[in-house]
Amino acid sequence: MSIKDYDELTALELDTLKEVGSIGTGNAATALSELIGREVRIQSPEVRIMGYNEAIEWIGGPEEITAGVLVRLGGQMNGVMLSVQKLDFVNLVLESMMGKKVPDYFGLYEMESSALIEVGNIMISTFINALSGLADVNVELSVPAFTVDMQGAIMAVPMALYGGQSDYILTIGGRFLCNGKEVPCRLLMSPDIRSLNFLLRKLGVSGG
Amino acid sequence: MDNKNIIGIADMKMAQTTGTLITYALGSCIGICLYDQRIKLGALIHIMLPLNMETGRTGTMKYADTAIRETLRQMEAKGGSKARITAKIAGGAKMFEIVGSNSIGNIGQRNIESVRMMLKREGITLLKEDVGGTIARTLLFDVATGSACVRCHGRPDLIL
Repeated sequence: MSIKDYDELTALELDTLKEVGSIGTGNAATALSELIGREVRIQSPEVRIMGYNEAIEWIGGPEEITAGVLVRLGGQMNGVMLSVQKLDFVNLVLESMMGKKVPDYFGLYEMESSALIEVGNIMISTFINALSGLADVNVELSVPAFTVDMQGAIMAVPMALYGGQSDYILTIGGRFLCNGKEVPCRLLMSPDIRSLNFLLRKLGVSGG
Repeated sequence: MDNKNIIGIADMKMAQTTGTLITYALGSCIGICLYDQRIKLGALIHIMLPLNMETGRTGTMKYADTAIRETLRQMEAKGGSKARITAKIAGGAKMFEIVGSNSIGNIGQRNIESVRMMLKREGITLLKEDVGGTIARTLLFDVATGSACVRCHGRPDLIL
């Protein structure tokens, strides 16, 4: 049966999405590891269905400044994918790739921003490639967009896109560990409801 | 936070005489301050989308049209008068510029247009606004004075 809202997902469907998250994030971790030349592992993958304000608390409060890379998904699946990059992650990337650090986000100029966009884009593409292969779906990716601003407003982008369909946001993603320490970067995929049904059907867990 | 009332996404709160209403991180969303100066009654709404097309029209405060209408009704129930109520708004930004895809960027602009149109239709004067652009805004609304303050990353505070 196909769902009409995110909170109708069954335990089996949620477990399947967690598996998608695990494989996607695992591949993204390998890509990140190659980019920064350090070992990167993933913590347990997360699938979350959250109310708007709950999601913003979960990411760490509305006003904290963060960098965000956003890619739109098209083709057989509609949705957005976000790479939310906190300052410690920003510095991990910049130190490994450019041999420098920045004291705050005002220190990001064109070169630094390009590096972050590239890292975000590669992690997102790797995640989606893994998903495409697993479910045999064709997903097209937009050119990545980048901003540095309050994370509440960044999280509100996928919410506003599907706000007419749902009071919830569904995120599939995970956290990363580098040298045993948590890397403050999250990779989040938010599909629309139609695409979620399509994905579950392709994965063979939904009869609809 | 004493005396501060926080308004989440798709939410509205009112206060009278004293207190600061606050809503954080407006991106494409819009914060709408409605104020009846005579009785110092203020309301702050955080809307996310321009028009309510849900069946059954639930999610009143999520949409500009139903949120403004319902808030005005609740303000009148508390003794406010539409003839005196004025508005100040902030938000409606474009957080990400995506090449070849308009719908993300359009939400902010469509929200601005819908809020302006609804206020006009209800006969509410829009006193001041800080809308559009590409930055997120936090909006603070002091119901004792009717003054609003917009806080951003990397830009000085703006008084509305």
